[in-house]
Order: sequence, then C-alpha cells, then structure tokens
Amino acid sequence: MPYLIIDNRHIQVPRGTTVIDAAERLGIMIPRFCYLKVLGAVGACRMCAVMFEAGPVKGLQMSCMVQAADGMRVSTTHPEAVAFRRQIIEWLMINHPHDCPVCDEGGHCLLQDETISGGHSRRRYTGAKRTYPDQDLGPLVQHEMNRCIQCYRCVRFYQEYAGYRDLGVMGIASRIYYGRFSDGALESPFSGNLIDICPTGVYTDRPSRFLARRWDLQRADSICLHCSLGCNTVAGAHYRAVIRQESRENVRVNGSFICDRGRYGHAYANLAERPRQSRLDGEPAGWREAAREAAARLKRIAAAAGHSAIAVLGSARNSLETQIMLRYLSHHAQWRPPRFFVNGSEARSTAAVVARLDSRLAAGLPDLEEADFLLAVGVDPVNDAPMLALAMRQAARKGAKIVVLDPRPVELPFAFDLLSAGLGDLPAALAVLVKTAVSQAGTDGCEAQEKAFLAALPGRVPDEKLQGQLGQAGGWLAASRRPAIICGSAIAGPELAGLAADLALLLQTGKTPSRLFYLLPGPNAFGAGLLQRGSRYFPSLLQDIEKGGVRALLVVENDPFFRYPDQDRLHSALGKLELLMVLDYLPSRAARAAHIFLPGATVFEAGGSFINNCGLLQYAAPVHEGGIPLAQVSGGSHPPRAHAPAPGSEKCPSAYEALLFLANELAIRPPTMDASPWSLLPEDFPGQAELLAHPYPTDGLQLLPRLSEAESLQTPVNLPTSGPAAGALTVLRVEQTFGSEELSCYAEPLRQLAGPPLALLHGADADRAGVRDGEQLCFEIGGEKVELALQVTNRMAPGQLIIPHHYALGRAACRLPAVVAQAELRGLTGQDSPDLPQAITES
Amino acid sequence: MTEKVLFLNQKFDRPATLEEYRENGGYGALALALEKYAPGQVCDLVAESGLRGRGGAGFPTGRKWLSFAGRKQGPRYVVPNTDEMEPGTFKDRVLVNCDPHLVLEGIILAAYAIQADQGIFFIRPSYEQDAQLIEGELNRAREAGYLGKNILGSDFSFDIEVHRSAGRYICGEASAQVRAIQGYRPNPRKMPGLHLTERGLWDQPTLVNNAETLACIPAIVSRGPQWFKKIARTPSGAGTKLFCVSGRVVRPGCYELPMGTPLREIIEQEAGGMLPGSEFKACLPGGASTRFLPKKQWEVPMDFESLKKIGHQLGTSSIIVFDHNTCLVAATINLLNFFVRESCGWCTPCRDGLPFMRHLLLEIEHGRGKEEYIPMLRSMAGQMRHAYCAFAPGAAEPVLGLLEYFEDEVREHLSRGKCPCRFSDAGGGFRRKQCLT
Amino acid sequence: MLPEEIRHRLETRIAASAHPRELVVDVMYELQNHYGFLNDVALREVAELLQLTPLEVEELATFYDFIYRRPVGRFVLHVCDGVVCWMFEEQSALDYICKLLGVAPGETTPDGQFTVLPTVCVGYCDHAPAMLINGKLYGPLTPEFIDRTLEELRSISCDLVLCR
Ligand SMILES: Cc1cc2nc3c(=O)[nH]c(=O)nc-3n(C[C@H](O)[C@H](O)[C@H](O)COP(=O)(O)O)c2cc1C
Ligand code: SF4
Ligand code: FES
Repeated sequence: MPYLIIDNRHIQVPRGTTVIDAAERLGIMIPRFCYLKVLGAVGACRMCAVMFEAGPVKGLQMSCMVQAADGMRVSTTHPEAVAFRRQIIEWLMINHPHDCPVCDEGGHCLLQDETISGGHSRRRYTGAKRTYPDQDLGPLVQHEMNRCIQCYRCVRFYQEYAGYRDLGVMGIASRIYYGRFSDGALESPFSGNLIDICPTGVYTDRPSRFLARRWDLQRADSICLHCSLGCNTVAGAHYRAVIRQESRENVRVNGSFICDRGRYGHAYANLAERPRQSRLDGEPAGWREAAREAAARLKRIAAAAGHSAIAVLGSARNSLETQIMLRYLSHHAQWRPPRFFVNGSEARSTAAVVARLDSRLAAGLPDLEEADFLLAVGVDPVNDAPMLALAMRQAARKGAKIVVLDPRPVELPFAFDLLSAGLGDLPAALAVLVKTAVSQAGTDGCEAQEKAFLAALPGRVPDEKLQGQLGQAGGWLAASRRPAIICGSAIAGPELAGLAADLALLLQTGKTPSRLFYLLPGPNAFGAGLLQRGSRYFPSLLQDIEKGGVRALLVVENDPFFRYPDQDRLHSALGKLELLMVLDYLPSRAARAAHIFLPGATVFEAGGSFINNCGLLQYAAPVHEGGIPLAQVSGGSHPPRAHAPAPGSEKCPSAYEALLFLANELAIRPPTMDASPWSLLPEDFPGQAELLAHPYPTDGLQLLPRLSEAESLQTPVNLPTSGPAAGALTVLRVEQTFGSEELSCYAEPLRQLAGPPLALLHGADADRAGVRDGEQLCFEIGGEKVELALQVTNRMAPGQLIIPHHYALGRAACRLPAVVAQAELRGLTGQDSPDLPQAITES
Repeated sequence: MTEKVLFLNQKFDRPATLEEYRENGGYGALALALEKYAPGQVCDLVAESGLRGRGGAGFPTGRKWLSFAGRKQGPRYVVPNTDEMEPGTFKDRVLVNCDPHLVLEGIILAAYAIQADQGIFFIRPSYEQDAQLIEGELNRAREAGYLGKNILGSDFSFDIEVHRSAGRYICGEASAQVRAIQGYRPNPRKMPGLHLTERGLWDQPTLVNNAETLACIPAIVSRGPQWFKKIARTPSGAGTKLFCVSGRVVRPGCYELPMGTPLREIIEQEAGGMLPGSEFKACLPGGASTRFLPKKQWEVPMDFESLKKIGHQLGTSSIIVFDHNTCLVAATINLLNFFVRESCGWCTPCRDGLPFMRHLLLEIEHGRGKEEYIPMLRSMAGQMRHAYCAFAPGAAEPVLGLLEYFEDEVREHLSRGKCPCRFSDAGGGFRRKQCLT
Repeated sequence: MLPEEIRHRLETRIAASAHPRELVVDVMYELQNHYGFLNDVALREVAELLQLTPLEVEELATFYDFIYRRPVGRFVLHVCDGVVCWMFEEQSALDYICKLLGVAPGETTPDGQFTVLPTVCVGYCDHAPAMLINGKLYGPLTPEFIDRTLEELRSISCDLVLCR
C-alpha cells in the first residue's frame, strides 16, 4: 500500500490508485475534464496537472496518469501547476460560444466551474471561433457541438464502456466532431448518460430543455421503478412537474449510470390525464369523504358476508411501506391475505426467488462485472433490465465468457454465445449445461445427496445442435473461477428459478462456486414476494368473486386489466363486486371502473422503500409536494402568470397515508399510528426487526436470510423438455426496452423510440407457414384488431411466436392466444382473417 | 573519402538491385547472424555499437531491443517506420530508393534479434512509388530465401508486408502508428507503465524503428560494433548519418556523413554553400520540430549530444536553410500551419494551444501585434512540453528558437507595424515576399 | 454498386486476415479509386465489408487527408506547402496552378480532370518546390514545368495509381 504526501497531508492508498483519486480521498478535488473513474485515465485534457516534488516521478505531470507510489510528495497548488491549468482553461475556451445564458448545463457545468476556479476571466484570443452544425440525436439527447471541449468522455463511454457503435469522434486537429454518421436517434439505451458525463453542455436532456435551471429544481434522491434492479437516481421537479432524472452513484447497484428507460420514464407523474380527483360512485368527492364512505361500506359488507368477503390487491410497484400496511390491514380486519400479482406465474416465480435467494448465492450487479463466466437463462437483458446488459458488458470487457440461453433473438453490446432453446426446454437445457460442467470439474466435494441430485439431472436435450452447444458451454463453466447464473422470471416459470438456485448450490459444492442473480417482475416484487407468503394468487380470487365469496376488492396501485389475458372475464367479475375501491396515480381501466376511487401519489411525491431483485432495501425520498403541474394549470404559458389554486392540485395522499386513514376509520389501531411503517414489520420479518432500525443506510440494506443447508437442492428433478405440439407455435409475450413497461410506457419520448408493434418468428416456421418477413399479422379478437409487423429471424428458437408487449396494442393484445397453429398464420396476413377462438390459458 | 555504410551501393539514377547488393556483401550479415549469433547476441552487438534511433528521438536502439528478452510469448512484430512526414525530411525515401535490400536485411536482422514473426512496413502515401518498389523487392527477397519460412535454411521464419498509410504526420509517432496499422484512429495512446515493446500491435510485443536505424544493422553485424562506433567523428556519436539538406543552398540533397560532421561543413562543402545572393541566416538543424539555429552556432558537430549541449536537437538531422531575406516570423507561421493542421486533436495544448500561438504570430506578422504577445508566446510554447506526446513540444521548438535568437526581428514587426523583411529577386524562379493568412 | 470482381477480391483478402480491421485503409483506397472518391455509398460498403458501422469508417475517413469524402478530379494535385517549398514558392506554384486551371485551392476543374489541394510536406524537399500527383512526385516546379506536366497528364488515359 503506497504511502504518499499530497499538499502536506499524508495518505496511504491501495496499490494501483492514481494520484488524482488519492487526492480525492483527502477531499482535494484536482481539476479534470477527461478523467472519470469508471472510464479510466487517458490523459487527454491535461487539466489535472500537479507538481511532483519528490519521489519516483518528478516535475509537472498529469495526476490521472500517475499511480501513487511510496515517497511521492505532490503539490496541487504549486505555481507552475496552477499556471499550466489556467493556460489549459484558456485554450479550451477559445472556441467556446459563451452561450451560458441559454445553456441547460448552466449552474452544474464543470467547464463553468473550472473556468472560474482556474482564474480565467479575460479573453485574450481575438481570432475567429470555429463553429459546427449540430445533429438531431433523437428525442432524448440534445446536441450542441459548439460547446465541446474535446474531452473524449462521451465516445469513451458510448463505445468502450457501453459497446454501442453509432456515436463517435470524427475529424482531426481542432476540428474534432463528436456525433453520429448522420442525423438519427442514438441506438444505445444508455444514451442519457452522455448528459451526465459531458463536462459541458454538448449533450443536454432534451425533454426538459429550457424548462428549468438546475438550481431551481426541487431535487431528491430517488429509486428507479422501471424494472427490478433498483438503480439510484436523482429526480428533479419544477412547478409541480417531475422534469428530469439523473443517475446517482451507488457502487452496490448501478455504479455510475442508469438506462434511458429509467431516466426518461417519469412522465407518468405529470400526465394531463392523471386522475387527481377522488370519486364516489362516479361523482367527485374529497378523498377523506370517499375513504370514510369506503370504510362504511367495508364494514357493512363484513357484517353481511363475513370478513373474508373482502380482498386486497397490491402490486410489485407498491412501496414496502404500502405493502406492509396492506398486509397489516387485512390481517387485523380479518380480510383475505393480500395478493400482489395479477399473473399467477409471476407470483409463483417471485415466491420461489424470495424463498431461494440467500446470502451464499446472491450476486449484485458489481459482482457480475467481476465474473469470468456468465450464464443468462430466460433473460433478454437489454429488454428486461437494461442495466444488467451494461454490467455484463463490463465482465465481457475483462474477458468473461458469456452464454445466453433463451428463446428470443437476444442482442447484446458485446460478444456472447446465444443458445436458442424453446421456452419449455429452458430448465432441461440449463440442467444439462450445469451437469456437464460439474461432471467435468469433478464431483469430489459432493455429498451423497448432491450426487444423487446430479445423477437425476437430465444429460441430454432432444435438439442435437443445442446439445453440442450446451456441452461446450459446460466446459467453459467448468473452467471458470467466478461464474454466475442470471435467471429471468418474466417468461420462464418458478421451476426455472428453483432449478437455478439448486444448480448454483450444486456448483458451490464443486470447484466452481457460482453466484446467482435473479430478475423479478417489478421494482418491489421482492417485497411482495416476502409479504405474499401464505396467500394465494389472483386467479383464484377471481373465482371467488365470481362465486360470490368475495364482495369487496381493494386495489392499491395496480391495474388488473393491464395484462390479464381474459379481459371479459375480469370485467364481468369485477362488475359483480359490491365495492371496487381503487387507489392509483395512473389513469387505468380499473381506476375508471371503481365505485370508489382515491388518487394516489407517485414515488416522487410520497417517497418510499423498495427491495430490489437482490434483496437490497433502498429508500426513495419525496421530491416535491405534487399537485397539478403549473404548466397545465396555466395552459402552458411559461412562466405561468396565474397561480390560483386549481381543483385537485391539493396534495394526493400516499397509499400508505390513505390506508392508515382507512384503518383508523375501521377502528383498527396500528401499534403506533404515528410512527414509521417499520414498527409493523416484526410480524412479517421474524428475527429481522433489529436490522430495520430506521433510518437504514442510504446506500441500501441487504435483507437476505442465511438459509440453512437443509433447504438446498429442493427442486424435484423431473424437468420437461416440452415444446408445443407439432405445427403449433407457443406465443411468448416479452418485454422490450421501451414502450412495454407499465409506468415508462406513458413517456412520449420513449414511445417514439419503441418502434411499431412486432411479432418475431423463426425462418423455418415462417417457411412452413408460408409467411414472409415484413408482412402484417392481423389478429381479430372480440371485434378488436391487433396488428403486428412480422419479423423473421433465425437467431431465435423455432416453435415460438414472440410478441413484445407494446403500448400501442389495444386491450385485445392481452388476449392473444397462448398457442397458434402454424397453419393459421397465413390466414392472419390476409384481409379476411378468421376470428380466432379465444384460447386463453392462465398458467 | 569517408566510409559509406548506407549509400555503399548508391547508383544515383536507380535503386541497387538484389544482385548488386549481394555483390557488395549484401545479406552476408544475415547469414552470419543466423549461423553464429543467438538473437540476444545480435541485440548485444547493436547495444555495443552505440547506435541511436534515427527517427527523431535518438533512443539507444540496443537498449530497446534488449527489453524484449522475457516479454510474453506469442507473436511479435517489427514495424519499420517509413512515415517520414516531418517537413524537410526525405532521407528514408532516398535510402529506400538507393538500396532497398539494405533496409530489408536490417529489418530481418532486427526481427531475428527480437524473435519477431511479422514485419509491417509503414509507408506514407506520398511515397507510393517506393511502396511499389518495396513490394517488388520483397518478392525477390522471398524468392531468394531471405524471407518466409526457414530463412536461409535456419529455423527462423519471418515475413514482411507493406502497410499503406492515408496520410497524417502523427502516424509517424510510434504508438499512433501501431493504432493506425490496426485500423483505429491514430491518436497516440499510452498506458501508464506500459510500452509498445510489451503491448503493441494486437497487444503483442512490437518493435518500432526508423528505416535508417534498421539499415545500419547489417554493417554493425558484419563489420563489428567497434568499427561502427569509430566511424563517427565525435566520441559521443556512432556510425554515419543521412543528412537532408534543403532550402537556400546550391545542392540540396541527402548526404551520408559520419556522425559529428560539423554543420558548416555539411552546408558549405556537401551542399555547395548558399545560393548566389543568399546569406545564411538560420537553419532548422533537425527538421521542423527543432529550433532555429543561428550562424554563430554553425560550427556545431552534428550528433545527438553535441547539439543537446548547446540547447538544440539532432531530430531527423534534416537541415533546412533560411537566408537573410526570409522572414522568420512568416517561416514560423508556415511551420505552425503544418502542426496545427496535422495535430491529431487528442490533447488540449496541441489542439487548441497551437492555433492560439499561430494566431498571435499572424497578428504580429500583419502588424497588429502587441507587446504582450511575446511573453504570451514564450509561455505557451513553454507549456507545450506538457502535451500528451512529442508532437506539440516539437511544434513549439521553432517558436522558442525564434524568440531566443530572433526576438529583435519579432520586435521590429511590432515597432514598424508591418513585416520588415525585403526581398531581392536574386534567387530566381518563384520568389516573392509572402505573408500567410 | 461495387463490381463483383472487386468485391470478391476484397472479401478474399479480408477472410484471409487475422485482423480484418487492419485492412480498412486499403479497402477505403480501393473503393475510393473505383468511385473516384469515398462517397456515402462507398463508405457504407467499406463498413459492410469489414463489419464496421458507417460511423466507425467515418471516424477514420475524416482523420486521413488522402481519403476524399468529397468529389475530386481524375488527377489530384497535392501542392506542397511545407516550409522548404514555401521558401521557393514566393510567386507561388499554388497560385500559378490555380490561375492556370481557373480554380481556387480545394476545387476541381469543371471538366473533372484536376483537383488542387495544398498539402503538407511531401518529402521532396530536395526538389522544392514540389507537388504530388496521384502518387508521383514532381519538382522542382517552374511555370514551364507545370505547363508541360499538366499538358502531359491531360493526354494520359492510363489508370490511376493507388494514392491520389
Ligand atoms: C509527431 C511525431 C512524428 C514522428 N514521425 C516519425 C517518422 O515519420 N518516422 C520515424 O521513424 N519516427 C517518427 N517519430 C518517432 C517515433 O515515435 C519513434 O520514436 C521512432 O520511430 C523510433 O524509431 P528509432 O528509435 O529508430 O528512431 C515521430 C514522433 C513523433 C512524436
Ligand atoms: S500533442 Fe496531443 S494532440 Fe498533439 S499530436 Fe500529440 S497527442 Fe495529439
Ligand atoms: S483528467 Fe488528467 S489529463 Fe484529463
């Protein structure tokens, strides 16, 4: 550990630390432009010059390019260093347009700060400035090249770090240009990070352009809710609208970056059509009045039909506080235990994950970056959870082998092996791969039980080509030292999740101790999984409603219509209810159907705690009070001239607050009405109460149990290798990066990037069905039409028809059949397509 | 008559053929080395000879080669650097055109010494004719068994291909050249503590040497390092050197002379002295990246150390001679035009600082200069040494020389409010006072 | 569209290379010679041949000065403006050539024969002032020599050498 002196202060740093970082540890911020810790040092801007007065390196040197060494004495304030840095700033400014008054970077601009701190205030250069035309980089990022200081950060992030190849550096000398080959939307779903890392205003946030100065924003630390990874953000609101998000560093989760879905997905909070008015039987009412009436009706129903006639549906986007409150309420009111998932498969997968993920196995994104072999199964990272792809890329850059086992035509920004297996074959294929690896690495460490488990695993899959690929990948796994399995939950069922845990445990007994990383269906699915223990799933509840056993349903931040396959059944079942009470901030169909509706508060207004896919509990702070954005109140004039209170601009209650109110009305007294929800926890987290001392650490609290050994290897070894019957296609509904996730699909700029609705089909299937790439598939269901552009590719598993969820597809899309006969496809491209039988299956 | 090492086979109107090269002992050194010397011994010979790189920096060649011992296994590369885009420099062109096989034998010997598998002859586009010449001679060498598998029956195999550049001076910088060959933007790139000799082309150990450096090797091997060292005229020098003389002299050209030959002798005897009507005012002794050298210093022996002692550099030993009629401010602007245009744009001093300096000089040349520009220029030129690579410090050298030896001339521009230089038409041909914009 | 023969030749070379990207300059030259300059079509073809993106090719094409992204004539006159030629150029060979051809520096004659480009030192300082035309060096330039050379070039129908 080198020991050095910087500005007369002593410090010891780990070997390999650069001097610029060593100084930062002392709180000395050496000026810099090109250097970013995550991107590494390149020494291009020459801004970080300091004087090395003694030690192995002498003279004026760039502190980013020199590694700390014993005996160094460094001065950051040496007159020669100060003079040189001042000169650098002057040089960087000779072409700058001095357009700070109209620049959105103003106020948080590194170039501004360092121009001032470097002492450059008088212009000595009297020559001409060079100017550039800007490019249209799409709806997310605004380009303004004249402000560029050529630090190369953007291209290094975009190409080297993120692996996309459509933005780069062109030209030479003082005519360097950063941009695309021609106008067009940036292809990387991480493009928004350019805004954060550019030290000046070349890339700025396009949707929020000219809406506010950074210092006028109400800013707070938030958590992204657009997938289960729980990336950290800073959200900024202005005039009651959330207008901008930036990434927030958390080395345990997202590192320094976030994806564009997370950055721009917040528009749902500002929607003009967002319901802001409480309603009682269709009529406007104050929310307390509505809640009071709800309590009265609930009491009546309980009295007439018993407490179990009342049921609760929360969601995976509820905060943990809300989930706890739901659970508490239903427990004490003796209602049915809350459900959180509309989709039964999601509920069971999540249950499996929560049951199986323990501290021996759990890996975080940073662990994946360090892995030397990654096996992703049932995952399409860029579409399911984009930041996962970025972490995997870092592993790939360090030389990791990466294998993806999935039916989809997965595309990733790095080299990997795609092993195409049909949905039904995933568990068997995974088992074969791991079995190969364990057998190759040797079973010395295995006990009898493990050996038996291993022996019972299938050794083959029917598909010869796949079998070969699995054998090869098994070899890589056997040869690796830090492997990890990444397991999705969106398309594959709970069996896969359980199997993945067993196989990871099996590997742990062998020579290649593997870690495990799950994706979950929602930002707080983990919390829902913890709290849903013992309760059953939504479909059975629906049955009870139909049979009259359940008379009242309380829906909190969920829209059962969003993805439920049988919309008609849902509609008629909910119609039977005596009371449908909905609390939400989205303009959902359920909200419109409610007898009693309470407008909810978003995470930006209410804040809340969320447990991410790795079991990390994190807190999103409230950003602003909420209310109707002033821009809407004032008809868009800026700045608004009239500030009169507008209807509904009263602050919406958070779900937690509303439920507390309800509990009060029902005379259920929470143990501590005034305190935090954590006091409600012990019941559901036996033995973990002490962990939850409030406030918990700001970078998150790990909530994973250490499971006993006895619980390992539980999956019954009876894995299907099932495809659909010959001539049939399994219909797979999948996520896509933009335009499919429930909250972010309201964001206009992301809709623009979503592309048209698609259906993907393997070439062999297309040939057999007689359909061609580019044809339009037309489903007509219950009088509604669903149109999909057919894409034919051989990079996917045959036997599937893959249909990404898409905001532009009507409700009928929920009811797409689970299986389509190949023979039918041809007909679907015709004008007179037959009305399909409503083959709806709910797993 | 001085000893010739590099121009032994010079024919003046055409390149020496393989046969002619062999008649004079060509490829003897290669046969000798393969038979008698282990690779490490060849490195030792070169180290002993005192040979220093001819590409501009003058790094001891033997030391560079010896560092390959113990480098990681796998393919290794030799890159004969024939980019030669330094203004005033044309020695590699003359050398290759004079005796192509001498250069080839040098490359093969270097490859043997560091156990390289592949050579990549990097050639600038202006030398397309030479690229074609080399391709032809490579075939001949291959047919004769000097290249390819099992050279001269030994178990050493090696081959050379030609890489055509698409221009840009920075491609001559070794780390930029390595990136250029791989098809990346040729910015110089350094990783702290990592040299090309460790991680060069495709992350493998790579030797970049100037073509002239390599052409010295056969003589060192066949005639011995001591002989080579002693043909220099100064104790600090070693071997002979190709001196390019250009500018206002009677016989511009490339001359092979012992290291340490005095500058005046080269100009007056070899190059035939100044053109009629021209008086020596200054020269750039080592190409565009060196300082103006005034007449009072022109007795200096031309070798690395002697020039260094008086604050100059040998550079590429390309002597560009200016006469009394030339405005050195204008000449410096011309040089800066070159550097501004060719900067790769990677680091701030070079990319933005050089245009600033050029602007100041243009203002001075056009009579709009201010007193404060002189200290500004001096300070900026001084700061250039902290640029990323040696390009920008090189660009600053003429400016520093201008201010060191010809500050009066610069001041005259300020005091008169215009360029003070007059012209006679004595030189003939195109001759006109020209201010650049 | 690239003729099949050229495409095939390039594809063969690329397939034989352990590091196809190293061929990018050669491929750019080849397509440039075929099309006269590296137009957008050519640039996309280079990208496709080497499995690069158009941007990645553009990053290189805009770096080098012997890759022409704009149309040039059959002969490209790279007139040296290095310091040695400058010393001899005061009445300017560049001016003379431009006047003779009726174009400004950087322009192409209307008949598509000649493009005049001022260029860094071409390494022919011993024959200053000098110029480079399609890979061949010319110097020392005098008005008579220039007249003669351009006249000769006009009558040449041969192929262009690789680097123009
Ligand atoms: C801007 C720049 C241009 C250079 N151009 C050349 C060149 O054209 N030819 C050359 O041999 N070396 C050139 N060099 C020097 C090389 O970087 C390197 O030092 C040299 O090729 C090593 O060979 P040597 O040791 O035989 O001299 C250049 C260096 C710089 C900084
Ligand atoms: S000094 Fe900097 S900008 Fe100039 S050539 Fe070197 S690296 Fe490029
Ligand atoms: S931060 Fe060190 S050179 Fe840019």
